[in-house]
Amino acid sequence: MPSSQFDEIPMLRAEPEPAPAAAGEPNPIRDAIAAAIEEHRVILFMKGTPEAPACGFSARTVAALQSLDVAFAAVDILPDPRIRQELSAISNWPTIPQLFVGGELLGGCDIVTEMYESGELAQALL
Amino acid sequence: MPTAEDIKQRIEAAIPGAHAEVEDYTGGGDHFRATVTAEAFAGRSRIEQHRLVYEVFGGEIGGAIHALALKTQTAAQTQTPSEPGASHAQQPVR
Repeated sequence: MPSSQFDEIPMLRAEPEPAPAAAGEPNPIRDAIAAAIEEHRVILFMKGTPEAPACGFSARTVAALQSLDVAFAAVDILPDPRIRQELSAISNWPTIPQLFVGGELLGGCDIVTEMYESGELAQALL
Repeated sequence: MPTAEDIKQRIEAAIPGAHAEVEDYTGGGDHFRATVTAEAFAGRSRIEQHRLVYEVFGGEIGGAIHALALKTQTAAQTQTPSEPGASHAQQPVR
């Protein structure tokens, strides 16, 4: 599978800022995450990259997507802890990976794996 | 370090009528696998079911508790052929 299939999202690798943005203040990381979720029909927030997952749960989720031969954007949350912080604030979901389809959280590793095994994942990604 | 029994008791205390089977699958007190059966899950999506369990632990998920693999079901769903708590988390996806 060509690596160009996984869109890089450089906005999420923004320069570090001193403190988390408070409510009402500009929050470029949260805005970039929200925009990425809106712009990519299938987007996976994970630890590491599809080529080099840094966690077994992320690896398993990538494997499910790849076995269905579906194109997906991937964002590595590890470079900056605020990515995970802001992602979880948006999604109300505490763990990584998180798979979004059509702007909605589909699930983490457990749900994606369950849906893969039941065939529901292929349906959801049609 | 919480034990599998701690995790089980906290889930069962927080979700009325819940039954939890919890395994500490690394033995390190920070990676758990739980199968939770509760009528409270009826009519809720998988996402909402898992959120109910995650909410029991708040910020501990991703903190002291590195991983909590979940399988959630209602009592009516326990008849499914797969072995509860095992197949979903261990079976590799190819």
